[in-house]
Amino acid sequence: MSEPAAALHGVAQRFGRKVVLRDVDLELAPGTIVGLIGANGAGKTTLFAILAGLLQPDAGERRLFGRAADEVDADARARLAYVAHQTQLYGGLSARENLALFADLRRAAGLTTRPADEVLLQLGLPAEALARPVSTFSRGMAQRVALARALAASPELLLLDEPFTALDAGGRAQLASVLEGERRRGAAVLLSSHDLDALVELCDRIVLLERGVLDRSAAHDGDRAAFRRRAAALWQGRPQDPPRDPLHPLLHPQDPAAPGPAA
Amino acid sequence: MRLLRQAALLLRSELRQELRDFELVLTAGFFTVVLLAMFYLSFASLQQRAHLGAIPGLMWLTIAFVGVLTLTRVFDREREADTLRALLAAPVDRLAIYVAKAAMTLAVLMICCAVLVPGLWLIFPAGAAFAAAPGSTALLALLGCAGYVAIGTLFAAGLATGAGKNTLLFVILYPLTTPVLMYALVTTRALLDGDPALPSYLGQMAALDVILFAAACLLFETVLVGAAGPRRSSSSARRARPSGQVPRDMSREPAP
Repeated sequence: MSEPAAALHGVAQRFGRKVVLRDVDLELAPGTIVGLIGANGAGKTTLFAILAGLLQPDAGERRLFGRAADEVDADARARLAYVAHQTQLYGGLSARENLALFADLRRAAGLTTRPADEVLLQLGLPAEALARPVSTFSRGMAQRVALARALAASPELLLLDEPFTALDAGGRAQLASVLEGERRRGAAVLLSSHDLDALVELCDRIVLLERGVLDRSAAHDGDRAAFRRRAAALWQGRPQDPPRDPLHPLLHPQDPAAPGPAA
Repeated sequence: MRLLRQAALLLRSELRQELRDFELVLTAGFFTVVLLAMFYLSFASLQQRAHLGAIPGLMWLTIAFVGVLTLTRVFDREREADTLRALLAAPVDRLAIYVAKAAMTLAVLMICCAVLVPGLWLIFPAGAAFAAAPGSTALLALLGCAGYVAIGTLFAAGLATGAGKNTLLFVILYPLTTPVLMYALVTTRALLDGDPALPSYLGQMAALDVILFAAACLLFETVLVGAAGPRRSSSSARRARPSGQVPRDMSREPAP
């Protein structure tokens, strides 16, 4: 069995008194797409930040491409791509200039990159828009440019935080097709979304992150209808918030069963 | 070489954005002119011997204010679009980010000095010493601004990854840059006085700048993303787990 592209073992993260992730275990195997669902504030973005090397976990182990990654060095970052919830594009530069900057930065590091125009066409961005400043783009168009920047790197690990946001139906279909291609290429993909139907169509496994805890999942066993039912049950069967005693977290800070502060 | 190439690419991107709207240069330039006008109105009537004492303080006070203004705007561009995190997640040498930002800030401050120093000379006749020693004046401005930028860029970058931290930059930056500014102030007075020890002062400023840049380079990545190191293992990580085994027993939800 090949090593997972990414693995988290017992990862925990807190910001001050707020516990955002608790004892998270996750493996992302090459050639698979894993969907991550969770309510707002469940800790999804924090999880992505840890995998992308933007945050050092407070506890636990992070492994990337078969090696322990106490720090995510440039070699590991060369093999992964992260598309955050924000598009992270320079508004004063055109789409082409934004893509060229990151492509040139990769080439300066001795890495190859696909022609960005080719990826943008796959994602349905019209060619005449490439020369316009990104600040003039709609959210959906900017999202496509951000996705193209990630895909042009042909990453082995692709991290997508709500990539379907602001994409129209055509854009979603194009992105789904592109991600299918990434899976066939052998990339490991982790994407989060509130669109359970899109995840069921695309993913091999869906995991639920609830109040920083990732311990329930549904796997696709070939029967899409059954997978859809299990995914729906996964979402609907989330533990309801118990009545909150505001003093409980202060009196019992080490209680793992304590309802943590809203993340 | 990768570091220099990537720093050059990032700096080129900064300059390209700046040449489209001149936001940094216009802000710094106008602020400098306004301060010069206020200095003229406030101090021009002082006796000439008081000018010698006032010029160094006014010069480096202006640099301090323009510097924090420039650093705030340089990193506000990154904060508004969260592009700094895109650079941190990319295979970019993180020092290249520091070098590019520091170079951009230094360039703006030098442009500010190109307005400030002649302006001080016009306002205060004692400032003629700047014209009499243009090489020393340019070197003084460069070394003083470089030391300021070395510290300022480090902390501005660290605060840029959080929201609403501009006020902290003002609080943190002024105490930390005081030694550099004081050194620059004393050296400026030495230049105006025609002190024969001026080369020694300039050499000490250069040495200070080297130390500050080296320290900033060592600290930059830690300031941005935090330190890696031995950390507490959580309960499941302490359990021995062979590689390849699914770490948690993920059971399927029964179909309704």
